[in-house]
Amino acid sequence: MIGREQLLDNASKLCNQLLKEGFDEAAILLTNTNRTMIKITNSQPSITQYWNIIGLNIYLSKNKRIFTLSFEPRSLEDVIEKTLSILKYADKVSESPMYAPLPEVGSVTPLKDLVDKKVVEAMEEPSKVAENAIEVCHREKIDHVSGMIDLTYLEKVLVTSRGAELYEDSTVFQGYLRAFAGEDGSGQWSFTSRKYSLNKLEKAALTASQYAVDSRNRQAVEAGIYDIVISPMVVGNLVNIIGFMSSGFTIFIGMSLFMKNKPGEQVASTKFTLIDDPLNKELPGSTGFDDEGVPTYIKPIIEKGVFKTILHNNKTGKMMNTRSTGNAGWIMPRPWNLVVEAGDYSLDELIESVNKGLLITNNWYTRMQNYVEGLFSTVTRDAIFLIKNGRIEKPVTNLRISDNLRNILRNVDALGKDVYDIQWWEVSIPTRSPYILIRNVHTTKHLV
Amino acid sequence: MSPEDLVFLAVEYGKELGATYVEARYHKNYLISIVARNGKIIDSSIKLQEGMGIRVLVEGSLGFSSTNKLSKEDVRSAVEKALRQAKSYSYLLRKPIEFSQEKVGNMRYEVKEKIPFNNIDIEEKISVLKNLWSSVHGSTREAKLPVFFTYYTESIEEKIVASSDGAFVQSKIPRLSLRYNVVVYHPQKGSIQKHGMYGGSGGFELYKQWDLENTLATEVGNYEKILLQAKMPPKEKVSIILGSEIVGLIVHESCGHPLEADRILGREAAQAGKSFITPEMLYSKEPLQIGNEYATVIDDPTIPGSYGFYLYDDEGVPARPRYLYHKGFVNELLHNKWTAKIFNTSSNAAARAMDYSSEPLIRMANTFLSPGDYDFDEIIQDTKKGVYIKSFMEWNIDDKRWSQRYVGLEAYLVEKGSIKYPVRNPVLEITTKTFYSNIDAVGKEVRFYAAICGKGEPAQGVPVWLGGPEVRLKNMRLGVAL
Repeated sequence: MIGREQLLDNASKLCNQLLKEGFDEAAILLTNTNRTMIKITNSQPSITQYWNIIGLNIYLSKNKRIFTLSFEPRSLEDVIEKTLSILKYADKVSESPMYAPLPEVGSVTPLKDLVDKKVVEAMEEPSKVAENAIEVCHREKIDHVSGMIDLTYLEKVLVTSRGAELYEDSTVFQGYLRAFAGEDGSGQWSFTSRKYSLNKLEKAALTASQYAVDSRNRQAVEAGIYDIVISPMVVGNLVNIIGFMSSGFTIFIGMSLFMKNKPGEQVASTKFTLIDDPLNKELPGSTGFDDEGVPTYIKPIIEKGVFKTILHNNKTGKMMNTRSTGNAGWIMPRPWNLVVEAGDYSLDELIESVNKGLLITNNWYTRMQNYVEGLFSTVTRDAIFLIKNGRIEKPVTNLRISDNLRNILRNVDALGKDVYDIQWWEVSIPTRSPYILIRNVHTTKHLV
Repeated sequence: MSPEDLVFLAVEYGKELGATYVEARYHKNYLISIVARNGKIIDSSIKLQEGMGIRVLVEGSLGFSSTNKLSKEDVRSAVEKALRQAKSYSYLLRKPIEFSQEKVGNMRYEVKEKIPFNNIDIEEKISVLKNLWSSVHGSTREAKLPVFFTYYTESIEEKIVASSDGAFVQSKIPRLSLRYNVVVYHPQKGSIQKHGMYGGSGGFELYKQWDLENTLATEVGNYEKILLQAKMPPKEKVSIILGSEIVGLIVHESCGHPLEADRILGREAAQAGKSFITPEMLYSKEPLQIGNEYATVIDDPTIPGSYGFYLYDDEGVPARPRYLYHKGFVNELLHNKWTAKIFNTSSNAAARAMDYSSEPLIRMANTFLSPGDYDFDEIIQDTKKGVYIKSFMEWNIDDKRWSQRYVGLEAYLVEKGSIKYPVRNPVLEITTKTFYSNIDAVGKEVRFYAAICGKGEPAQGVPVWLGGPEVRLKNMRLGVAL
């Protein structure tokens, strides 16, 4: 830990120096990261990784030209030298069409109580957490488990030339486990938290193992149109893409479904609500301020099927004649935590609502044919079950969801009441979600 | 203390503390980027990462730590941390982690920029993006070009790798890349989209070699034709001719990845997955056949000018071409010192780390299908009925690298030896074996495409080339995307 005073002092001095040297505006985002990760392979650790890194991100403008700098430097002298080198050519760069002044900072309250000391303590002995995870997984009759557990303590400071002097520190306890059973059984689950929640870890471990055991002896299934019940792992992956596409920047650069929609339009089933919730202190994206010093707040991206909010920083907000939504990114606004509003079904009730369908517990490798139109496919992974007449009939082999994100959003028919906090390789933004039932989804598989 | 002295300090200190293997890597990445939308510069950026990554083997456990605080004390502290954390889990190991003994390098090498980035004025670099916009935005007639997003990046990567088994390798590799995203839109016909990338090692001369103003203008003109004229692909079985861009992607996904020995051993099982090849298959004496005589795939880090270029890997082992599939058979895996020890062989220098804060992992470099003896025109003339799929947008593959899907972007019907009309969204959804077993003609010209390949936890993106000649597959059925 470096501490609030020293980090603020360093960032403020740098900010002042850059203004004196001739930049019009400056924002300094200074981070101090202590992080430990233990990776598990075949039911034993395969490596511990430790990071102790000072990160320094700088935003500068001069005559409406925009410059962003990212340093993990050896010394502050390098930072100054590289940053001042911009002054030599700043005027040769054209004015940015994105330019908007950094916002004046009003009343901003950094979030408190984002640190759990137990996370920091556990960083000293990550092997104990790994041992626990492996032991819990092996309570089921699996062959082996792989995965990782990540423990982080982060301090961040934001100083801007418009008056921001903000500090937050936080911890993250996050991980995922993939269990293997028999020749073809596998299950994967993840968890994420600000707190050292062994309960979440153990639930994830057990879920992964149970799905691994239950998915042994799979049989082939025909591709076609199915009603699908997707797990929070799959929902997390898909709503991460929706969250990415809800950014004013991705709309601006042609990487968004919402290029074709305006806020107020119906884009999804009335049963579907997706929220950006930076104030949820249980999820690791939580923060009280964005990278421009604007207070964060809870907002629906999609509410009861209606597209409500494009996520903005001051620049994309100005371009689209609106205001920042507290989601900066200096260039690209992004969601902090994604929350899918729960419904009132149990998982069993979701399954009972399906005549012919699939329960899909995990997926990976989602790729778009066209971001604007929404065409995509994703490969199902790990346990997948055929549902017939409201019951799980058997585990089946993998196929693809090959459809259009617009159809997926429109065909949401029911949501579970239990929610899960998910973050892993394919779900980078922490996501809280239930299981979801989606009707009439196209699936494909390879031709032999 | 100089970076060179610091890596030696880390290695010696790790040995003193009882590590059986220590490897220290000073690693500096310096990038300058310019970002434009429709020819207007929206951001200019600098990224500098400089620090040290240290790996130790102690009591059969592997530990990694990294820091960008490069005082003697901080480096010693990083070594201690790696050792302490590694030791802490040794009691959980059923089998100790060991590394192979390798002939390692003592070498300094550098890729020279023929036209150094520093010699080019910022205005000229900006004009690259402005000129590209000028070229492409006049290339459509009826359709509009709402977005043409471009991302220019020049970079210098410097490394010093030293290890307790005697490696000392210092390297400096400059690279240039240009990424783009284009949306072609018509009010009645909808949109078509492509994002792509060019990249290589060298200086600003690479940009001049790519001839992008003409290439991208032609491409965008073709996208308009597809948007306005494309028809459904044939439903019956036909020949499929795949362009180099797709062939490169296929060999990367269905040969390079499944032959990464760490995947085969399960080390990436919870992330990018395993492989359709199991250790048991490899321990068997039976040769593993994957395709026909045309199925030869090479991964070669030593190609001059390539995006994945290196001469020594991040464990200090000298690089060479790796023949992964050879004439239809699995020939050689991609190895580091850990997997080489397990498979009782030598490392073929596949260990790479993205930056100082990343552990070296087994990675591809420049992967390509070996060329044949057909001209492209000969392949077309020799085809009664088929579909030529030149480029793609959507693709994916399962986590054992067996079932894969490629959705064509620029594609054409081929009939009686000539190219006819554009075809919309043809889908090739096949297995690895189907692809390598059904090749019946291979072009003679290999073309390469740049990409960033992802792997590991935390995820590491490293520059690679993927490539090949055009390839024809016999008797295939296509699907069509929605």
